[in-house]
Amino acid sequence: MQKLGIIVAVVVVVLLCHFTFTSAQKVLQLDNQLPRLIGEEEGNHRLVLITQDRQTPFWDKVAEGAIRQAEIEGVSLEVWGSYGMNKEDFLKNIEVAIHSKVNGILVQGLDSPEFKELTKVKASFHGIPIITVANDVPMEESLRRTYVGSDQYTAGQLIADELIQQMVSDGQVVLMYDREREYYQRERIRGIKSVLNMYSKIEIIEVETDSTRDQVKAATRDVMNRFPQADAYIPVNANHVGIMISEISKRSQLDPFLIYTFDDGPEAISLLAQGIIDGVIEQEPEKMGEWSVQLLVEWLNGETVPLNHKGYLTDLKILKVNGAE
Amino acid sequence: MTSIQKKILTLTTIVLLIMSSIWLALTYYNFKTHQQYNDVLQRYLSMNEVSRASQLVVNDLNQLMLDSNPASLQQLQVSKEKLLHAKQGVYPLRNSDNAFTLTNYVHLIDSLVETTNRFILFQAEKDTESSAHEFSEANNISTYISEMTLALIDIELNTYSLFYRGIMEQSGEVIKLGIWVLLLITSILLIITYWFSLGITRPIFQLTKAANELSKGNFDRQVKVTAKDEIEFLAKTFDRMRININNLISEIKHKAALERELQESKLLLQESQFRSLQSQIHPHFLFNTLNTLSKKAYLDGAEETSDLLVSVAGILRYNLKQQNRSVTLRDEINVLKQYIDIQKARFTDRLQVYLDIDEACLDLKIPALTLQPIIENAVIHAVEPKIEGGTIWFKVRKKGHDVIIEIEDDGSGMPQEKIKQIINEEAPAITEGHSTGIGFSNVVKRLRLFYGYQDVIEILSVQDKGTNIKLIIRREGAVLDDQTSHCG
Repeated sequence: MQKLGIIVAVVVVVLLCHFTFTSAQKVLQLDNQLPRLIGEEEGNHRLVLITQDRQTPFWDKVAEGAIRQAEIEGVSLEVWGSYGMNKEDFLKNIEVAIHSKVNGILVQGLDSPEFKELTKVKASFHGIPIITVANDVPMEESLRRTYVGSDQYTAGQLIADELIQQMVSDGQVVLMYDREREYYQRERIRGIKSVLNMYSKIEIIEVETDSTRDQVKAATRDVMNRFPQADAYIPVNANHVGIMISEISKRSQLDPFLIYTFDDGPEAISLLAQGIIDGVIEQEPEKMGEWSVQLLVEWLNGETVPLNHKGYLTDLKILKVNGAE
Repeated sequence: MTSIQKKILTLTTIVLLIMSSIWLALTYYNFKTHQQYNDVLQRYLSMNEVSRASQLVVNDLNQLMLDSNPASLQQLQVSKEKLLHAKQGVYPLRNSDNAFTLTNYVHLIDSLVETTNRFILFQAEKDTESSAHEFSEANNISTYISEMTLALIDIELNTYSLFYRGIMEQSGEVIKLGIWVLLLITSILLIITYWFSLGITRPIFQLTKAANELSKGNFDRQVKVTAKDEIEFLAKTFDRMRININNLISEIKHKAALERELQESKLLLQESQFRSLQSQIHPHFLFNTLNTLSKKAYLDGAEETSDLLVSVAGILRYNLKQQNRSVTLRDEINVLKQYIDIQKARFTDRLQVYLDIDEACLDLKIPALTLQPIIENAVIHAVEPKIEGGTIWFKVRKKGHDVIIEIEDDGSGMPQEKIKQIINEEAPAITEGHSTGIGFSNVVKRLRLFYGYQDVIEILSVQDKGTNIKLIIRREGAVLDDQTSHCG
């Protein structure tokens, strides 16, 4: 009887010990880790990449490259952006960045007076270097340090060359661009025209539009009404290509039309993959991101001063629909 | 302090210590958790503080722009100080998650302060346009600050939501742990208490059993308790008491035996007194008769018979009178002489008795009828059995402080066993018919009782050569009369 009692007591104690121990272990394991406080310690260079078109495949790649490079360089970088080409937000972001006294701003160039005001006056006032990425604004107007991205003139030429090959040098080409005619669009148009002007039988139809969706639709409808015979469409602003195509497809088959555009719009690549558009100028967004960060850091560290004001140009190539005619 | 008390105190202290340490641990944990909550909340509060301060600055800027007086300027300076202070509070909050944003935030505050300073400068210079521009700038920045505050708090919420969940989970686990620890300690304490109380009660139980045994009268079982406390002490005392009681009981038994013996001897004494009283009746008659016979013998011309009868009567008288009294050696020797006369009448020439007596010693006190039985013994053993008779020497002499009474015969000697018997006062020597009924050993006994020491008699015996009996009587050990007797 007594033996049984002792055994029961020992078993109970051992069991309780076990439970207590495992419970204690659990409690100790649950050590809530708060993020490490940095406190007063001075951080490294803070860079911001600001775009208008966040979450387009193109800009995602730029951001990806920039972030990767920032990690390599050991600087902190944040990507700020507005969605759907919200210019107000975009400008505000730049202003916040300037007031936040970041060490450098990588920005998608916007050829607007407000933008130039910000970069030329405010950023210079605070001594913050600005590098334009992908879309340039001339240095004289923006006081940017340099430009990293494609040579848009060459891009225009490239797209025009392709067009010529497909069109057998005869027909109407619709060029649609923003009413503001941003610098990069002007460059593209200049490139396209420099090629197409060599062929007298090719007629260039220029269409101006506002960047709102309805305006683009209206402009497309209008040009289709006026020039039903048009053979090719080139939306110089790649953001317009989706709207344009949906509008054209309401009227007729898409196949007869040659549609070319650039890869910095949200839909360009997927439309190309579906075979709806015939060719896309592919740039090197990742390279742009990497390079821009690298150059900015070099400038900040005083390794490359001054930066080449003409810009650092990335490669271009044209992507065509598989098995295109 | 007694050790049971010590034991209880120790147990209580241990229990208290364990309980209080658990309580402390839980309280500390609670405190820590609260502190963590508080820290997190404090972060939000300091960020909010910045936002509020910046709005205040813009407010005051507006005030100053509308109405430029020193009071509102003072007001602006105060709110600017507040903003800087709030900045100080927010700067240490940087962590890996919000470092970038928070740094921007701090710089935004700086920008606001700079803008404010510029505004004040322009205002002082009455440059309305520039100051208006700076005001709008400040307003913008303030808006940005507010927005960034929200963004920061959003980041904070993201960062700390996991942390919150962790804390909640840990709280749950801690409660579980508390329950387990409580159960564990309860069971361990129960076991320890049981064991501990057993340590106190077991000796008591043993003691109770021993007490039961004692109360039943069983005093031989040893009381043994090993407890190393008061109970053991109690048990030892108890055991000592048992031993004492045992001793007392045996003593009482011994005493009882003695008392019974005493009773017996009392009875014996009464009997003998009775007997002696009775025996005194006949002797007087006998004594008178003997005297009558002596006179008759004398008248008949038998003078010798008459003398014998007088001697017999003398001895008889002496015997009747002196039996229980001390007498002088002289009296004793007189009686002895009468006895020898009688014996000589019997043995005629076969008995030779030589007396050699130092007269100076005759006043020595001696119990009555001590010498006669010894002589009688000598007669019986040394003279009677031999046809040619025997010789007896009786000497009394001084030797130092002692008086030595020597009785020697030339008989067949005494066997050693008998000597031993006599010396040791053992079973009275087998009466060989002739004695007065008072045997040799009786004499020895009386002598020892009278003088108060043991070596009062010495017996030397050689087979077929004779026996020498010495009575050694110390004079100073003898009665006071001794000195008046001019014995030495």
